[in-house]
Amino acid sequence: MNDPLPTPPLQTAAAEPPPPPDDPPASDVSNSLEGLLVQITSQDDYEILNHMLRIFAPIEVRETILGSLLPGGADPLQALDVKRNTLGILYLLSARLQVNAAAAPPPQFIEAFCQDFDPEQARLAPERVTFLAKGILQLGQQANEAIFSVKALADLLVRFPPSLHYLTPLHALFMTACVANRLFASATPILSESITEIDIALFPDLHYTDNLVYHYAGGFAYAALNQWEEAEEFFEIVVGAPAQVPSAIQLEAGKKLILVQLIKDGKSAALPRYTNPNLQRLLKNTPYFGLNRHYPQQQAQLRILIEKEKETFEKDQNIGLVKLMLEHAPRWAIKKLTGTYLTLSIPEIGKAISMEGQDEAVQRIILSMIEKGEIDAWLSMDGIVTFNDSPPTVPTRILTRTEIDVALKEAQRQAAILSALEREIGKSRDFLVKAARVKDNDWVGPGVPDEDLMFGVTPSGSWAEDA
Amino acid sequence: MDVEMADATEQASGPSKTSKVPIPTVVVDENHPFELETYMANYTGRIAIDRLVHIISLAPSIAPQALQLAFRHIQSLRDPALYQVVLSAYEQAASLGSVPLPAVNDIATVDQRWVDETNAKNQNERMKLEVELKTYTNNMIKESIRMAHRDLGEFYKSVGDYTTALKHFTKSREFCTTNQHILEMCLSVLEILIEQRNYSHIPTYIFKSDAALDQSTSVPENSKAPVGTKAKASAERERYQTKLDFAMALSQLGQGLYDKAAHSFLKLGPSAKFDDWAGKLVAPGDIAICGTLCALASMSRSAIKSRVLENETFGVYIEHEPYVRDIVEAYMSNRFKVVLELLERFSTRHYLDIYLSSHVHDLTNLIRNRAIVLYFQPFSTIKLDRMSTVFGWSVDEVERQVVSLIQSGEIQGRVDSQNKILKAKQMDSRAQLFAKALKAGSEMQSANRKLLLRMRLQQADLVVKPPKGQKPESAAVAPSSQMSQISEFSPLNE
Repeated sequence: MNDPLPTPPLQTAAAEPPPPPDDPPASDVSNSLEGLLVQITSQDDYEILNHMLRIFAPIEVRETILGSLLPGGADPLQALDVKRNTLGILYLLSARLQVNAAAAPPPQFIEAFCQDFDPEQARLAPERVTFLAKGILQLGQQANEAIFSVKALADLLVRFPPSLHYLTPLHALFMTACVANRLFASATPILSESITEIDIALFPDLHYTDNLVYHYAGGFAYAALNQWEEAEEFFEIVVGAPAQVPSAIQLEAGKKLILVQLIKDGKSAALPRYTNPNLQRLLKNTPYFGLNRHYPQQQAQLRILIEKEKETFEKDQNIGLVKLMLEHAPRWAIKKLTGTYLTLSIPEIGKAISMEGQDEAVQRIILSMIEKGEIDAWLSMDGIVTFNDSPPTVPTRILTRTEIDVALKEAQRQAAILSALEREIGKSRDFLVKAARVKDNDWVGPGVPDEDLMFGVTPSGSWAEDA
Repeated sequence: MDVEMADATEQASGPSKTSKVPIPTVVVDENHPFELETYMANYTGRIAIDRLVHIISLAPSIAPQALQLAFRHIQSLRDPALYQVVLSAYEQAASLGSVPLPAVNDIATVDQRWVDETNAKNQNERMKLEVELKTYTNNMIKESIRMAHRDLGEFYKSVGDYTTALKHFTKSREFCTTNQHILEMCLSVLEILIEQRNYSHIPTYIFKSDAALDQSTSVPENSKAPVGTKAKASAERERYQTKLDFAMALSQLGQGLYDKAAHSFLKLGPSAKFDDWAGKLVAPGDIAICGTLCALASMSRSAIKSRVLENETFGVYIEHEPYVRDIVEAYMSNRFKVVLELLERFSTRHYLDIYLSSHVHDLTNLIRNRAIVLYFQPFSTIKLDRMSTVFGWSVDEVERQVVSLIQSGEIQGRVDSQNKILKAKQMDSRAQLFAKALKAGSEMQSANRKLLLRMRLQQADLVVKPPKGQKPESAAVAPSSQMSQISEFSPLNE
């Protein structure tokens, strides 16, 4: 009865080979929560325990039983120790949150678990952690306690992967929650650790959308915090993510990327070279691309364009960014003037940045730009602005020795990472096989390309199917 | 006859196509002297009519004179349709121009008898040539077929049907047996292309003739011929090289590649080498003007000195238009005001040249910009009113020019618009270098980070794929469940 059913999504991970002597006790406790509880507390080998929990009870009733209370209404979770029985709690808690939300354990318990659980054990059942995270989010939504779930998820996220450089399915969940509840500040500790590692063996339920959604939402958060440089990088990661067909998230990220670049640099840069060509084409057809043409000087045209495409911007939920971009336009126009002029009067500046007759507004912008260090200038009493000689991008002083040392060290570190990576690839099986094949072909000459063709065709054919 | 009529409309649309920028009406007065008679004395054949048509449509004040001249010239040709072209140009000028022009009948009359005679003659000639071609084709005599095609090509060219002429010339190529023939064909085609001002096609035929020339020079070498033939071959090359160079120069000018055009113009051989092209296509004075203007607009001072002033062959061309030498000399001695005045004074002459016309504006701008850049070079600061006296402009004009040059990055300086001073930028190269190095470093790191992540994603096969059940090509955008959630976010910073 068990077998003919389709495999539930949770069982995607390859099951550990079950040790035969442990099978009889597993079937003993097959349907009772109490029996399971005993096993959880007594079993010290977590892999065996994980296997047992995984195959516990027939599939249709498994979650219900895991999520139920003990006879007599006692909470099984209270009987377990957070640190020692992390794995057990993980299964029970995630099932409880999904199935039996009414009898949800107190938030304090969840919080304590998230802060204190044993990562080693949790990593045995990564899909359960994802499951738990989703449960926590649901709980937070129902109880209207977004802060609670975001905080719990953050704790979970910090401790669960070997380091924050690993991408986990939690990342996307956490960041979406942060952005949806506008808790941008709580996202920064996680965001500041850039993702460099992807390990399918550790987190078998990773999906490409996890990467896209995490970086998209991360870029969103940075944009909301006005940290444009980081936002740009995050959106760029999404746009440049490997793709056979462009995804909707990538398109949205591309739109936001253009806006962010306009705000940050006053012009939009080319998309990453490896961007999917279809995506580039799609983006070129959006009104966002047209903004670049008029930015920043021709504000009148810019306003017309924005007014015309207002609906699109509103539909894309980008009107906020668009407005911000428009606000930044005079700043970029002024910045361009600094390259051309030494002194200018305020009305002249107003004329140059098409804000004629709004001298006060122009003066305000200039003052705020001077304050923020965007331009190096001073304003005299009679409304003459004098721009200093050095463009603001160049440091006026010579760098100190320590700064140079830091930069050098960073460069050396990067070089080390790259050379280590190269060695790793150089000795990897895939590379060696390929290199050997190329060599063989060279030996044999161009007469027998068939073998290579065969190799080329077979894997890609099957691959397209399981996609 | 209807072929010729069709051609007439084509002709009329021809010049307007090449000059995209509407050229203002050109004034001819005391300050802008232009001697129509002396100017036109340099030209013969069809090009004279083309030039006159150009003049009629640009300079209404001398249009009647030009019309008379054109009518006189037409009689020496064999294309009655040209009457139509000239007349329509004149009428257009009359209808557009602010100056009222005298009616056509008052100035000149169409010689109807000549028209009829010529038409009949043309008809006969065509019949004759076509019959000839047919006979030769039947007899399969290669050389004769080639010659028949060539003659037909020449015929059609003379009656102004360029398309058919081109067809026959290119057709004759199949029957070419020697490189000499190919060369001849290429030159005929080039002639047509130049007359049509079809600049982009010119290089193709130049390369073809080059190849033909190369072969004719290399063949004797292989057969170990005596030195005499070799010398003959290089003489052959020399004979055509100037024509080819001229065609190349013209095509580069036509495409706005002024620096290349300058080089090509300046390496032209003596004018004797043009033989039949002189007057038919170009006058030596034109070469002097085009070459000099291109050189001034694109070359460095030292290059101008060595390649224009000290170039004896080109000097001969300049003799035909002495004012060109004045411009160059004024330029070299930094009397920019004189340069600009001379350019303005002779702008009529420049605008009325069919090859140069659409480029005068750009060239003048380029020369002026270079002059400003050159003038400012030795200064670290300079008052704008001093520049204004040198260039003969108002201070505002100077400021506008300078600002546009700064923005295009040609002048490294900034304007003090209060005190009207242009000040050179002071660069701290050391600090800039450091800043640049640091920036490059951080950019590299960020690129590395992104690439490594991308590599990992690919290794893990976390690639965006078309959703199941959808064909890859139709799946423009992969939908995802999270998307709807994301796009429900409230707008930012409200």
